[in-house]
Amino acid sequence: MNRRSFVKKVLNGSIAGSLLLVWPMGGGSLEIPVQIPGIKGRDYDILNQEFAFIVDVTRCIGCGSCCVADKREYNVPDGNYRTWVERYVKGFSDKIYVDSPHGGLDGYQHPRTDIDEEIRDTFFVPKLCNMCKEAPCVQVCPVGATFISPDGFVLVDEKRCVGCAYCIQACPYSVRFLNPVTKVAEKCTWCYHRVREGLLPACVEVCPTGARKFGSMKDETSEVYKILKGPGVLTVLKKEMGTFPALYYKGARREVI
Amino acid sequence: MDAGHSSAAMLVSNYVFPNDLHVHWSMMIVLYPYITGLVDGAFIIAALYYLFDVKSLRPVARFSLLFALAFLAIATLPLLLHLGRPERNFNMLLTPSPSSAMAGFGYIYAVSMGVLVFIVLFVYREDLVELRTNSKGLLQLLYRALTFDSIDLSKEAQALDRKIIRFLVGIGIPIAVVLHGYVGFIFGGVKANPTWSTPLMPVIFLFSACVSGISAVILAYILIRKAKGRSIDHGCIKTCIQTLTLFFIMAFTFEMLEVFSHSYLKSGYHHMVEGLLNGPLANSFWLWQVKICSVIPLFVLGVMGIFKIKKRLYNFTAAIVSAILLLQVLIMRWNVVIGGQLMSKSARGYTEFHPQWFDKEGILAVIIVMAIPFIILFVLSRIFPFWETDTESKVK
Amino acid sequence: MDFNYRMRLLTVLISMGVLAGGGLVLKKVLLPDSFGVYGPYRADAIAEAALIPIRHGTNTSCFKCHPHEAKIHKKGRHQTISCEFCHGTYADHVTDGKKIGTLPVKKEKEITTLCLRCHNTEIKARHEEVIKTVAMPNHLKDQRVKITHNCNQCHQVHAPLQYIIRAKQITGLMEAGS
Repeated sequence: MNRRSFVKKVLNGSIAGSLLLVWPMGGGSLEIPVQIPGIKGRDYDILNQEFAFIVDVTRCIGCGSCCVADKREYNVPDGNYRTWVERYVKGFSDKIYVDSPHGGLDGYQHPRTDIDEEIRDTFFVPKLCNMCKEAPCVQVCPVGATFISPDGFVLVDEKRCVGCAYCIQACPYSVRFLNPVTKVAEKCTWCYHRVREGLLPACVEVCPTGARKFGSMKDETSEVYKILKGPGVLTVLKKEMGTFPALYYKGARREVI
Repeated sequence: MDAGHSSAAMLVSNYVFPNDLHVHWSMMIVLYPYITGLVDGAFIIAALYYLFDVKSLRPVARFSLLFALAFLAIATLPLLLHLGRPERNFNMLLTPSPSSAMAGFGYIYAVSMGVLVFIVLFVYREDLVELRTNSKGLLQLLYRALTFDSIDLSKEAQALDRKIIRFLVGIGIPIAVVLHGYVGFIFGGVKANPTWSTPLMPVIFLFSACVSGISAVILAYILIRKAKGRSIDHGCIKTCIQTLTLFFIMAFTFEMLEVFSHSYLKSGYHHMVEGLLNGPLANSFWLWQVKICSVIPLFVLGVMGIFKIKKRLYNFTAAIVSAILLLQVLIMRWNVVIGGQLMSKSARGYTEFHPQWFDKEGILAVIIVMAIPFIILFVLSRIFPFWETDTESKVK
Repeated sequence: MDFNYRMRLLTVLISMGVLAGGGLVLKKVLLPDSFGVYGPYRADAIAEAALIPIRHGTNTSCFKCHPHEAKIHKKGRHQTISCEFCHGTYADHVTDGKKIGTLPVKKEKEITTLCLRCHNTEIKARHEEVIKTVAMPNHLKDQRVKITHNCNQCHQVHAPLQYIIRAKQITGLMEAGS
């Protein structure tokens, strides 16, 4: 633009506001940082990927940032949850009290007032899609609308799903729901659209304590690789179901179902 | 499973997974197995006559075929009402997933419908030919199509018809078994749900299906004949009741065996199953399904089978028992389908189900869906007479 | 018996077969293009899932236009907190390099509620090695501050210890263990 229109622009509005308009501060489209190495700027080899998600229960503080971020990323309708955080309270009598008010969307502002005994231990457990390697939801879908992609993600074909809700019945972890607006099945996808751009899933991105970890198992420098190949104890949920999840829990107690 | 060993510990805090609060398979999914069950049971009666030559069932043989047809005709309706995207239902025919029991629906339904329609056409061919010769215009065209445009009623033609009927009924039996058995497997194959996942599920479904169908035929036969002021064939009712007794003993045994194995084996999430049956489902399972609608009919059927009872009393009791058993099967479907979803996969709580009146899967919709087959039956009765005349010469 | 009748039945049978065959052909024709490329599903669905618009831009996207806050945030204890958690997503704020909306900034009592979401010591599952927690209003009483104070009256929200450390430097307060 020439000097005349530049001056006009500056004079038209308040200085601060127009400065922002005149100088494109952000500039162009969203600049994506490299959060998962080896993906951005390269051809995506869909047949040669393996990702893992690790939840560190000892580091979850129940802030609910992950739930908020997930809801915002996908405009999830109220009452349905792609991810949520549970609070476990263990009494000295070995009784377990579990709750998840609004799936942890408001965080945990107050302790439970309905527990009569002395509390021995409490912890938070984030839950999300387990990305089972032998997914029961994929097995039961009558029309092939949910499937395991070659890179290991269990995804839903929104254009094909008939909304029969069989996959929702079949999921042992209850991570699926029927979207009341689109009337098709939906679930956490480990932010497939972000991972494809080399970004971390939204919930991993916002987690302030590193309770959620995500990375590629093809990258030996990634945190998840080191943890998975390391000596620590990692568990999966409902192992007896034989689903072989790609979601691992570090520090989850035996009470977690 | 380490998470506590007493059921009291499990339910201290009723925790339901956030996505488990809503019951996804509602009353339409209770109706669908019920309807295909009625079809199967009615078909058993027809099969007993047409294939196994149980002569005493002649009075209801044709009627039971029409009854099965009327209900099979609307079997897709509850499913379409349930689907989130019913306009995409053809996906089941285009890309049925080989690993999904539910994917079998389109093809199994089409085949069983085809077989049943052809059986009816062959059974009623004589009546249809007569209607064809006595009608004109479009209606005559219809009857010509339904009789393959042939008026041949010679002895050989009728003998061929009988052979074809036997063949079709013969292949109809395994098809009917698959039609309802696969529904049982839809539930039995869900390992995530402890109340559903059992190999006994298809067996339980099949036997109780036969119970419902036979009861329906008995009740409908008695009510319709009484309404028209006609006689009731006692021998026919007796055979039906005997068949019913057999199937019901099997159905009840398997239902109770399933519950008993859970509580005896004490494996997996059995606390939750017991908690479900003794908690939210205590009334509908123990009181209604078992005590009122199973134990009482079992006794009554036993009495009817062992002792000699006057005809009128026998027929009356047959109608009452059939009505109760129709209710039993409906309640059993409710307890399995909806009851099974009340238990959260958290293994720590139960959710609630509140039937709505005006939902597309609501109470009003259920009433309408169940009324339609009777309207169809009425229309069918105008073309295919339910009962043969007193001469009984036309029944093949 | 009419030879005709047998032939008619045979015709019916054959036409059923033809219909079935026609149905199978129709099935093949109507099958979506990308079906079966990787498995019994529409391979295009993978691309569709990958092309969902990204809503969270990550902190890097915020720092580009907000260098002042970026400088403070990167050095503070809150460096692991996402800007978008407290303020809202990038997608609600900028599209194609242009601002499309103002993101909310929490004020007064709302800030205290937001802080306590993580820092409330009453929730016992928050371990010291992971996060420092306080109980209200005890924390205010301990610090000799009015109990009507909001957190951000002492703590810079983007770097919560910035003012605290500076204050200690100014007053020359020496604390055991610091």
